[in-house]
Amino acid sequence: MFTNPTDHRKAHSRRTRSRREFLRDACCGFSGLAFASMLRAEQVRRAPPNPLAPKPTHLPAKARAVIFLYMAGGPSHMETFDPKPLLNRLSGQKRPQEFGEAKYQSIKSDAKLLGTTRAFRRYGQSGIDVSDLFPHVATCVDDLAVIRSCYGDSVVHSAAQYELFTGRLVPGAPSMGSWLTYGLGSESESMPSYVVMPDPDGALPAGQPMYTQGFLPANYQPTMFRPGEKPILNLDLPHGISMNRRQRTIELIRRLNEASLAEEDHEFSARINAYDLAFKMQTEAPDILDLSKETKDTLDLYGVGSEPTHDYGRRCLLARKLVEEGVRFVCVVSGGGSGRLTWDAHDDIDENHLRLAVQTDKPMAGLLKDLKQRGLLDTTLVLWGGEFGRSPEAESLKGRDHHNLGFTMWMAGGGIRGGRIVGATDAIGLRAVDKPYHFRDIHNTILHQLGLDQNQLTYPHLGREERLTFLEGKLITEII
Amino acid sequence: MCSSAVRYYWYLWHFGVGRLAVPLLTISVCYSFFFSVAVADSNPRGTPPLSDKMDGQGARRLWAFQPPRKAALPPVNDKTWVGNSMDRFILNRLEQNSLHPSAPATPRELIRRVYFDMLGLPPSPLDIDAFLADDSSDAYERLVDRLLENHHYGEKWAQHWLDVIRFSESEGFEYDRHLPGAWRFRDFVIQSLNEDKPFDRFLREQIAGDEMQPVTNDRLIAAGFHRFGPVRRNAGNPEVAFSRNEVLTERTDIIGTAFLGLTIGCARCHDHKFDPITQEDYYSLQAFLAATYEHNEIIASPQEKDRWLSESKPIQQRIEEVEKKVNSAQGVERRRLRRALQKLKSQLPPAPTTATTIKNDEATRTTIHVLKRGSWEQQGDRVRMRFPRVLASQNTPELPADTSHPRTKLADWLASPENPLTARVIVNRLWLYHFSNGLVNTPNDFGQNGERPSHPDLLDFLALHLIENGWRLKSLHRMILLSNTYRQSSRTPPSQHALATDPENRLLWRFNRRRLMAEELRDAMLAVSGRLNTKMFGESIVLPVDQELMDLLYKPDQWQVTKDRREHDRRSVYLIAKRNLRLPFMESFDQPTLQNSCARRESSTHAPQALELLNGSISNELADAFAKRLVREVGADPARTVERAWLLATGGPPNDGQAKLAQEFLNEQPLREFALAVFNLNEFLYVH
Repeated sequence: MFTNPTDHRKAHSRRTRSRREFLRDACCGFSGLAFASMLRAEQVRRAPPNPLAPKPTHLPAKARAVIFLYMAGGPSHMETFDPKPLLNRLSGQKRPQEFGEAKYQSIKSDAKLLGTTRAFRRYGQSGIDVSDLFPHVATCVDDLAVIRSCYGDSVVHSAAQYELFTGRLVPGAPSMGSWLTYGLGSESESMPSYVVMPDPDGALPAGQPMYTQGFLPANYQPTMFRPGEKPILNLDLPHGISMNRRQRTIELIRRLNEASLAEEDHEFSARINAYDLAFKMQTEAPDILDLSKETKDTLDLYGVGSEPTHDYGRRCLLARKLVEEGVRFVCVVSGGGSGRLTWDAHDDIDENHLRLAVQTDKPMAGLLKDLKQRGLLDTTLVLWGGEFGRSPEAESLKGRDHHNLGFTMWMAGGGIRGGRIVGATDAIGLRAVDKPYHFRDIHNTILHQLGLDQNQLTYPHLGREERLTFLEGKLITEII
Repeated sequence: MCSSAVRYYWYLWHFGVGRLAVPLLTISVCYSFFFSVAVADSNPRGTPPLSDKMDGQGARRLWAFQPPRKAALPPVNDKTWVGNSMDRFILNRLEQNSLHPSAPATPRELIRRVYFDMLGLPPSPLDIDAFLADDSSDAYERLVDRLLENHHYGEKWAQHWLDVIRFSESEGFEYDRHLPGAWRFRDFVIQSLNEDKPFDRFLREQIAGDEMQPVTNDRLIAAGFHRFGPVRRNAGNPEVAFSRNEVLTERTDIIGTAFLGLTIGCARCHDHKFDPITQEDYYSLQAFLAATYEHNEIIASPQEKDRWLSESKPIQQRIEEVEKKVNSAQGVERRRLRRALQKLKSQLPPAPTTATTIKNDEATRTTIHVLKRGSWEQQGDRVRMRFPRVLASQNTPELPADTSHPRTKLADWLASPENPLTARVIVNRLWLYHFSNGLVNTPNDFGQNGERPSHPDLLDFLALHLIENGWRLKSLHRMILLSNTYRQSSRTPPSQHALATDPENRLLWRFNRRRLMAEELRDAMLAVSGRLNTKMFGESIVLPVDQELMDLLYKPDQWQVTKDRREHDRRSVYLIAKRNLRLPFMESFDQPTLQNSCARRESSTHAPQALELLNGSISNELADAFAKRLVREVGADPARTVERAWLLATGGPPNDGQAKLAQEFLNEQPLREFALAVFNLNEFLYVH
């Protein structure tokens, strides 16, 4: 009787009121509000005195942080983790009818299939196939759970990016990083709990809205790291102001606000705390962000200091340091600016993917190894992938178009069972046919590993109790 | 009973309150709970049978679907407290709950409160002195009347409406294209509010301005209402029917949200789970928009138009030629042509004065079908224009598809005094902005899952008052502002009894203090530092931002900073509302994302806010200006400096402890650091 019928759980229309308001109305209406004190405990997640204080999980947590290695533009599965011998044999021909239809962004129905020139090899004890684009990541393959059967709902960058980050095809919903921060609070006192490190080459089609907190309060907004040595906005003192001087000002603010503070004023106390935290960030963040104290071995591991890996390596290393500090969600973006500078290989799949893979391969492997040797991989879930994969057909002879019906993502760490392949696309990589998993299933699995239940992690918005997974997500049980 | 219990458990589960189920159940069966979900209760699968839901009287049983009722003024014991009729409703409920209203706010608190509420700006020291010195019994009433005539009123309250309709001057998604002259809509809202345009007319102009006779520029601009949702435009294979459906969805949903306060969008994919709105109702409402298409109407003078035409025509011709070629070209040639196209477009002269609006195009009218799961590929039955059945009088027929002026019909129905929702919804919004809580605290959801009103009779009383007073919002503001309810202090400490019975203060035993909205905060900093440029109306202001921030835009060249430096100090309502680039200052103080309707602002507190006020460029620049103003006005004397700074920023003097601390600080530290500290005072950031 306690289990809910599945058809109900599929409903996405949720109530508008906060749970607290709901219970109050339901039980007593407005005339008697006797449940108020009991409800206060239940409201803790929604509005504790410090909304970023760590919160209890719904389930036992396996991971406490996520690093998303986001390959913007959509890397090809057929060139990376999903070898398709038949595709090579059929190269230059039209897609055989038995594979069904697909809609693409640009290429027309008369396009011809394109085989891959990449060579695949089996690695590790698990013998998972990895292409020659990722020789370093290949050495970590026993830690990877490669999900070859991912799919999404849009073949267009912006909408697909929104869906990847927020579970919706349209902008305005909170991203997974914001949901995690809302659900778990922050473990760091000197760092924001949700950090995005965009590619210094520029922004992506979906722009800022894909990373933001949407309808959640601004406490859960991402901190967008800027390129260069001073990544956090407003962390630096204004020109001509010394730390010593500014410390006096902050002290004055605290004392002035305390001088007018009534007893038990939680909101104003929280404001005073926010200044303490801001000051702590200001003094401690520069140290955390300083890579000069890292050993040469560590820097080499990530490819920091040599090209073309320096930039992505630097950001991956920062990601590790942030996770060490208790940051919940770090997104390290590969690709930005014009399409050519992302994994969006319309014109020449080899040129594009070789260029981007060589920038990211060593840093990613370095990150996995570094996390592992520091014992952090057990509690840090690493996710790799793009907003979609690429078409089995050729575009402009050597390129590939966007494709959302079947592609690969992988996870590692955070309680994920490595050395596994989950699901499969058909023989030409067109469609996820075995155990297809949607973005919402990826989201749900991440929430689950962090101890959150997709149905309990909700926020009221426009008449619904919204959640990250929009429609209910499945658990990828094969890898947890 | 059994099915009730199942549903009860299901609700607890579905709404994530599973862990509370056991203690709650052991208390008792909550009859009012079952009553509130009873409509959906007779079917064991949980999906209410439609025929019952739609046609029976049961569907209309929810309070919001019944017409507002004029209730007798409720009895009260303490008649001396009652200032106007509105107060009786509040006091009656307080007395029923053994609660007492608070003492009046001090005149200083009151003038600051009413200034921010009505104008979004702090009162000047002169305003404050004049008010404190005025001993006449109607001093406050005359203050309120002056504020109602102040043009800053429209600027403050326009922002609320712009929030509700998720107004933005760019379309979002990857192109985030700017809408030509979208700022004219913002000016239309400000102007309409300032002239106290009746709300029903305000509504009609937005829903159907383009259909009204005679056609005026203002009406075309008002109809731009339909254009402000996010619009996805893509290169490559366009899926025309899909895009059209997305646009129609946005336009339908916002009408439900903004005017009806209903989550009508929930019925796009399936019959509404909680409200008696079927998918057919949803698409029948959408059918009123079937012939509506986006349209940019040039409203320039004939001379301006001619000049523009003669300059642009030759370029336009070449653009069309190249466009034709692009469509058939491939690969390298295609890219070359695209670059040529881009270059040609950049040579076009600046667009002539344009209204972002819509028009009816009967020839391309979309045939509206019920779409299974909301998917444009799964067409069900064809539907025609009809109002949602639960809200219309019985047996309202479908209108023929070729009905002329379809949106006028829709607007007439929305603005009809018989519509049970429109007046209640706007009255509730007004209340919420004055008191920080709505009478219905789910202002965009008056449906089954929305909150029940805290004072149902008062809500109806106010809705009827609005209609009787010709839908004029200022009469409502006036009533609220002059009530004793509004004039209560916010500082009353809660009694044990109040904490136990009404910790959220929904019954208003005191006034709710609130943090300034992001826009109010920036505007107040400008005003306090003496830098505010009070110029009204016109093209939106683009402030300079760091290059790093601009780089977060997919097309950084869209951010063309306003050249005239003085314009940068204008009120925040005039800053460009661009979906893909919001100012960090605004973001951190809870400006909504511009993507969905926002009926109430969040008020969060977090470290990046502190960093923004301590180290951000806006606060530091204005702290410098504030410091200079202080020197200008009171010289170098620390005591007078502190006194003056407090008066400007908080409307009153510092307490003794604060005065001492501040003066000591000034003896050793620079004035601008003190000025910055004042911007960080809770008494500055909050309105009591």
